[in-house]
Amino acid sequence: MSSTGLNYVSPAAAATVFPHRSCLGLARANIVVGAARSRTKRAFELRAVAETTGMEAVELKKGIAEFYDESSEVWEDLWGDHMHHGFYDPKADDVSVSDHRAAQIRMIEEVLRFAEKKPIGEDKKVVDVGCGIGGSSRYLASKYGANCRGITLSPVQAQRANALAAAQGLANKASFQVADALAQPFPDGQFDLVWSMESGEHMPDKAKFVDELVRVAAPGATIIIVTWCHRDLDASEPSLKPDEKKLLDKICNAFYLPAWCSTADYLKLLESYSLEDIKADDWSKYVAPFWPAVIRSALTFKGLFSLFRTGTKTIKGALAMPLMIQGFKKDLIKFSIITCRKPE
Amino acid sequence: MRLLTHNMLSSNIKGVTNGFPLRIEAEKVVEKQVDLNIDFLKNMFAKIEWRALVSAARTMGYSELPEEVEPSKLDSEEFLQKFHHALLELHLEEGALVCPETGRRFPVSKGIPNMLLHEDEV
Repeated sequence: MSSTGLNYVSPAAAATVFPHRSCLGLARANIVVGAARSRTKRAFELRAVAETTGMEAVELKKGIAEFYDESSEVWEDLWGDHMHHGFYDPKADDVSVSDHRAAQIRMIEEVLRFAEKKPIGEDKKVVDVGCGIGGSSRYLASKYGANCRGITLSPVQAQRANALAAAQGLANKASFQVADALAQPFPDGQFDLVWSMESGEHMPDKAKFVDELVRVAAPGATIIIVTWCHRDLDASEPSLKPDEKKLLDKICNAFYLPAWCSTADYLKLLESYSLEDIKADDWSKYVAPFWPAVIRSALTFKGLFSLFRTGTKTIKGALAMPLMIQGFKKDLIKFSIITCRKPE
Repeated sequence: MRLLTHNMLSSNIKGVTNGFPLRIEAEKVVEKQVDLNIDFLKNMFAKIEWRALVSAARTMGYSELPEEVEPSKLDSEEFLQKFHHALLELHLEEGALVCPETGRRFPVSKGIPNMLLHEDEV
């Protein structure tokens, strides 16, 4: 060990340096589920409150808020102000840190292109559902002059988002509130663009989530959902296989996620409203380099040091990252984009 | 929280038919200067609820906005300055937003409204 007491250790060496705990990052994490599941497993019921691996919805919301309150700063330190996947060339091999920030911006642009919403008109009203520290909103405000309201469960994130907007001279174009995506604090039909970038996976009631997205969309508005889903089930399958569910449960517990649904489930929900141009795509191949890159940055000197300064929630989240890679490799986890338009 | 944001927030408590606009309880109001952008103001004028802005500005201590606005007013520099000031330069730092039907208070702390509903309000 160096004289500062902290030293980068390779994952293999870590097991010898820290013999009493799992190697940070690459060993199988032994995450204990806090409360026992009381319900028997059954097919995902879209209209019922989703199973949350023992967490009730209230506990889940609190867990999400605290998770992001705690880990936001570390993430921002390592990855900057976009808390979403980067969009990469599928053939890209060796991506560096600077590529990742560009990839995160590219993700926003590719999303807009898929949704045929490029360019967003000046002063169009955007709602950023699950806004993090406002990366998307501030980008849309700055590049397109859009007027963005973001909502997050995390007071720390809302504070940081507003501070960043002010610092960037965007405070009159982007503002952030503490609110629940399942009960958005807006009147009906307010927004020209309804934007949910990687927040859908936190919503315990997908039906209510979609209902609110549709409600706050103005006539002619575009709704965009970019989210993690599990693979679509075959007609003959009532549910995922037991080993698949086990993997997702572990991830759920670490990232404060309720039960997963498939892209097909989202499409079914959207189809129950009279929406136009409902389309979806699987972008898993475009985000493949993301989790290995996050893990590598977590294992750097800076990353480990930052992680040690945070709390258990962030560390648990960090330990679950290899599980995401597993999930993608097994074709179980999909990175999906789903868009549609409200009729005029 | 600026009044531009206030103009877009409503109370969606279960059973409430019209939760807009939220009444303002102003404990601490701060003025922060923002550069004037005429195109922005003209664009926004069509999208905001004027009456709500006027009464909200009044509770924040600013009574200069006219109750009625004829379209020609949008070319008046004097009017635009007042509109700009009310919409973007007045900040509610501490206080609350109150549901007009139920009286339920949503706290505003450090300029951020907390619009989370309790379990029984959803």
